[in-house]
Amino acid sequence: MPTMTTSKRQLGWVFDLNKCIGCQTCSVACKVLWPGEDPGTEPMWWMTVNTQPGRGTPRDWETMGGGYADGGLRPGRLPTEEEIGGGWDFNYEEVLAGGRGQSTYLRKSSGQPGWGMNWDEDEGGGEYPNSYFFYLPRLCAHCTRPACAEACPHDAIFKRDEDGLVLIDEERCRGDRSCIKACPYKKIYFNPVRRVSQKCIGCFPRIENGVAPACVRQCPGRAAFIGFLEDEGSAVSKLVRRWQVALPLHPEFGVQPNVYYVPPLAPAPLRADGSRDERGERIPPAYLESLFGPAVHTALATLKGELEKRRGGASSDLLDTLILYHWQDALGHLRRDPAAIDWTSETTKGHRR
Amino acid sequence: MSHAQDAAMDRMRGSWEDTYRDKWKWDTVAWGSHCVDCYPSNCPYRVFVRDGRIVREEPAATFTTVEPGVPDMNPTGCQKGAAWSRMLNGKDRVTYPMRRAGERGEGRWTRVTWDEATTEIADAMLDAIEESGPRTILRPGTTEGGGQAMALTNNVFLRLGATVSDLLAEVGDMEPGMYITFGRIGMCSSHDDWFHSELVLIWANNPAQSNITTVHYLTEARYNGAEIVTIAPDYSPSAVHADQFVPVRVGSDAALALAMCRVLIDEGLVDEPFVREQTDLGLLVRTDTGRFLRQSDVRDGGSDEVFHLFDTRSQRIAEAPRTLELGGLEPALDGAYGATLKDGTEVQVVPAFVLLRRRLEAYAPEDASGVCGVHPETIRQLARKVANKRTRIITGWTMCKSYHGDLMERAMCLVIALTGNWGKKGAGIRGISGGMFDGAYSLPQKLRVGQQVTEETFRAEEERIRAALAADPTLTREMLMIGAGSKSGMESGATPPFFFWYNQCGYRDVYNKPSNNDPGMKRRFDDYVNEALAKGWWKGLEHPTVEEPHRVLFNIGNNPLRMQRGGQRMLLEHLWPTLNMIVTLDFRLSTTALYSDYVLPVAQHYEKTNFPYTVHDSMYLTLSDRAVEPQGEALSDYQAMLLIARKLSERAVARGLLEVKGADGRSIRLDTFYDDLTLNGALASDDAVWDEAIRDSAVMGTLPPGTTLATLREKGWVRFTGLGAAPLSLAGASDVRPDETFTPFRWQTEKKEPFPTLTRRAQFYIDHEWFLEAGEELPVHKEAPAMGGDHPFVVTSGHLRSSVNGMHSTDRTMLATTRGKPVAHINDRDAAARGIENGQDIRLFNDDGTIVIQARVTPAVRPGQVVLYTGFESYLHPGWKDLPHLETGMVKWLTLAGGYGHLRYRPLLWQPVPVDRGVRVDIQRAT
Repeated sequence: MPTMTTSKRQLGWVFDLNKCIGCQTCSVACKVLWPGEDPGTEPMWWMTVNTQPGRGTPRDWETMGGGYADGGLRPGRLPTEEEIGGGWDFNYEEVLAGGRGQSTYLRKSSGQPGWGMNWDEDEGGGEYPNSYFFYLPRLCAHCTRPACAEACPHDAIFKRDEDGLVLIDEERCRGDRSCIKACPYKKIYFNPVRRVSQKCIGCFPRIENGVAPACVRQCPGRAAFIGFLEDEGSAVSKLVRRWQVALPLHPEFGVQPNVYYVPPLAPAPLRADGSRDERGERIPPAYLESLFGPAVHTALATLKGELEKRRGGASSDLLDTLILYHWQDALGHLRRDPAAIDWTSETTKGHRR
Repeated sequence: MSHAQDAAMDRMRGSWEDTYRDKWKWDTVAWGSHCVDCYPSNCPYRVFVRDGRIVREEPAATFTTVEPGVPDMNPTGCQKGAAWSRMLNGKDRVTYPMRRAGERGEGRWTRVTWDEATTEIADAMLDAIEESGPRTILRPGTTEGGGQAMALTNNVFLRLGATVSDLLAEVGDMEPGMYITFGRIGMCSSHDDWFHSELVLIWANNPAQSNITTVHYLTEARYNGAEIVTIAPDYSPSAVHADQFVPVRVGSDAALALAMCRVLIDEGLVDEPFVREQTDLGLLVRTDTGRFLRQSDVRDGGSDEVFHLFDTRSQRIAEAPRTLELGGLEPALDGAYGATLKDGTEVQVVPAFVLLRRRLEAYAPEDASGVCGVHPETIRQLARKVANKRTRIITGWTMCKSYHGDLMERAMCLVIALTGNWGKKGAGIRGISGGMFDGAYSLPQKLRVGQQVTEETFRAEEERIRAALAADPTLTREMLMIGAGSKSGMESGATPPFFFWYNQCGYRDVYNKPSNNDPGMKRRFDDYVNEALAKGWWKGLEHPTVEEPHRVLFNIGNNPLRMQRGGQRMLLEHLWPTLNMIVTLDFRLSTTALYSDYVLPVAQHYEKTNFPYTVHDSMYLTLSDRAVEPQGEALSDYQAMLLIARKLSERAVARGLLEVKGADGRSIRLDTFYDDLTLNGALASDDAVWDEAIRDSAVMGTLPPGTTLATLREKGWVRFTGLGAAPLSLAGASDVRPDETFTPFRWQTEKKEPFPTLTRRAQFYIDHEWFLEAGEELPVHKEAPAMGGDHPFVVTSGHLRSSVNGMHSTDRTMLATTRGKPVAHINDRDAAARGIENGQDIRLFNDDGTIVIQARVTPAVRPGQVVLYTGFESYLHPGWKDLPHLETGMVKWLTLAGGYGHLRYRPLLWQPVPVDRGVRVDIQRAT
């Protein structure tokens, strides 16, 4: 029996792929704040950015199944440690104080050496000079139909009523890993030390205090937006609902994710003689459709149309939203400066003990 | 009870949730930033401290809107910034003074006390001073370490009369083509000005990777209607968000730019009033000599620096004004005219523009296309766009690291000159800036503590400037400051390192190797060196000589063994044996630290009070404060140097060496060295010295009145209010307005102030004898010499995304975002032809060296190109052989030119600088 609950309000993330520069600030901000170097979390990156097209992280995750099909859970498999990769440590002592000079050098001493969270960075596809790539940030999609929750035999995964975040109750979790198989985005990791599943927690301790998640608040490309999808004034609502230029990744997975993407434009390709083919598409539309569904064509048309208008001198509410004249407008209702929090105050949520 | 009810009960207990809630909490918050050479730097961060330990950081994101209608700068930061706290506890961290226990580079250490270390170091310094004076102590200039390293520790060396080498020459960020053209390299807008552009040419630059904090202004300008064009050999991360990708053959950018200029002229798209007013292209050149018609040509006792134009209104030759104010004159841009010389001879003169047009005959788009690989129609379209749109060229420091980078830059400057694209919002070409924090750089001149003395000095200086400007209104403040020798900026006291490389580091052979040089050179490299020396162009700057080597080397923030073009072997073979003492002050063990005699622990970025270098690109002074005590026995750079200074005084007195003479004849007291340095202890603490520097800057008009260290601790940052006195800063040549983006060169377009060049104009025609000999009197495309030998691949480079100049390249968190080891990017078809698969190790080799590195195979790279991003620590490579081992470290002979207007030695601006882009290599599988 599905444990489906519809939250009263749903937080949504939007990543504008025309602003994302693949810098990994969101990934690192998350890594430093949450999994860090806690035991068993070394290879974990709850937030990742990958170059598309590419094999991503875990390697070839799109082929591992999960999500829904034909009204039920679609079978999925666990990524192997090798497919997740990373978790490296290095032979620092040997190189820096081992007395071996140039006969040794700094290299991996543990972890999975042949893959990592950003292994195929900047590779992409196409053929020079019509090469193409773009960056795709990914985190738990806090789905409206979370397959992970449905798959968990211990009811350890739940969706919060107040904001729609999908969380794993780490005390109920028995390390069964059904959730990892069920997640079509493969954004759940297994902690072998604690024997629990772990994933993005939506920065709920920050959200509870009015502070935007670390991935959004640190994004220097100003490509990340968050807010309630029901709040018509929020940037995410404008982009997802009003303008419909922000689309879910792999909608066919059937989980109704709440992370959305403004699909990528790209420079016009070149013809064989090197001239510019202004009507051509550098990124094959079929590839974009395979990621974002058929709605990607309408979304791109809308975006191109507004750009055309803007170049002609007209105003555009859509483009003003994406420009972000005031950065705080990306944060929806989560605009509080964390440095303003006083943990000794009794009114602060979860004040410091 | 059902599972669901169970779960609800657990949630109510909520202990796992509280674990996460608790994890996020902190006790105190401090302002932090990262004082590194991550141009433009200045990201205000909050640093969170818990139980006395730094737990993490986050961009403060508290900037306010400067200009209404322009996006704010928040949140400035990046992935390195997000994980800076991890480096605090990195396994490469240094927390105690260490003395080498084995051979240099062996990696054996003994922990010693500060007293032991400073005693031995001070003795070595005194030995060196006794041998041949204080300048035998070398502190290579560096762009790393913020004000602590760049100002406070430099001040110690400058006071001592030691050698501080030119930081831009060391890092190779000097931009000769911009300097030749403008007499300055400072056309740097604040980033938010990028939003005003209608057309952006990202040219030989990869800001998406190297300017992470600022690139949003490009994507946002695009949403605001701008067109973004990326011109590069490879489909780079900065091509991803462009409207147009223009693939150009490596090293052929000048041909592309000149073809665009040809189109502009052919199609009548030149902004002629702008060209007449702002450039030298209306000045008359003698066709018999190729030299400008000077006043000295036509009049006895006439000036060599007064030029002529043909006024189309009066139809006569007239002297060109010494400012950009043309009065009623309208310089002709075409025609040929007769001029009578002082001896009565008639000669023909033509506007330089005529010669330019002649030069551009070779650059018809169809012809240039064969050189640069860009379709002729694309060249035409680009030229038309530039002519019709407010255009900015975003370039970086790749051009200037190319052998003929000067020509590429000059050609690019010509594109914006012909189209009137500077001195207005959204336009220009990006150079490099610095300065404004004048109080920090003028500390060595300070004789008494307090602002009264600053006020007096500042007023007297203003008086002097006003008088000089009144005496000759065609001068500018910038010219006066250049003439005076700057005392207020990073340029103060710097020594050009060319002769150090030439005499001490084994580069003389490199420079003279024919294959490293332009095949069109008429003479040997050494001929030019000898001529330059004979003509006195480098008088007083030839130190160190072969006979008088440096004896003590201090590395503070810098890592020369990683960076040195030509590889560590050049320094290890030639320099290291002559050094009696090598000291590295660092928070981590760099390659250079591993080859040092002493490694002294420096406080990490969040463990000391510091300021990132200050630039027009951000326009802010940004506080990086001491959030916690330094680990172990680490000290701030300044405190570490003060310990050495104090010990130096003590040991000097012990050996009766009370006073020495500096190379400039100045007398330096050693017995009171520490007291003089700290103004008798008044400026001995970090807080005191910074507060003084900030208050002095307020007096000098670059910070708002009332700014102090305490006010910065409240707000974290403050926007500068003026450019100050440093030439590098005055080169911005615009007022700093509180409610506007900073747009450089407005003093030229709005106030008609002259440029600090020979002709007082943006100068495209250089009639220096060597430039004429080279055929480079005007911009031209030339093929780079086959540095590294005749090999089929060309190496290009740029900053690694995940590391600033090597320091993050050994950090576990940053390594995890890469392949965990250095990679070379090669084209997929090139790889297939050589049987190389993605992820395999390959050998890259040329006549100068071989390195082993992993291949990243991608169609984004141009066939024949190898992209090797810089910034991997040497010891991440087998045999520690990294990219610089493939680089020759060549310099272009022409940059030794002097004795001509602005073409004379100038710190940070004009001197030989090594090039590293465009070396040739071959590739093999490493089996």
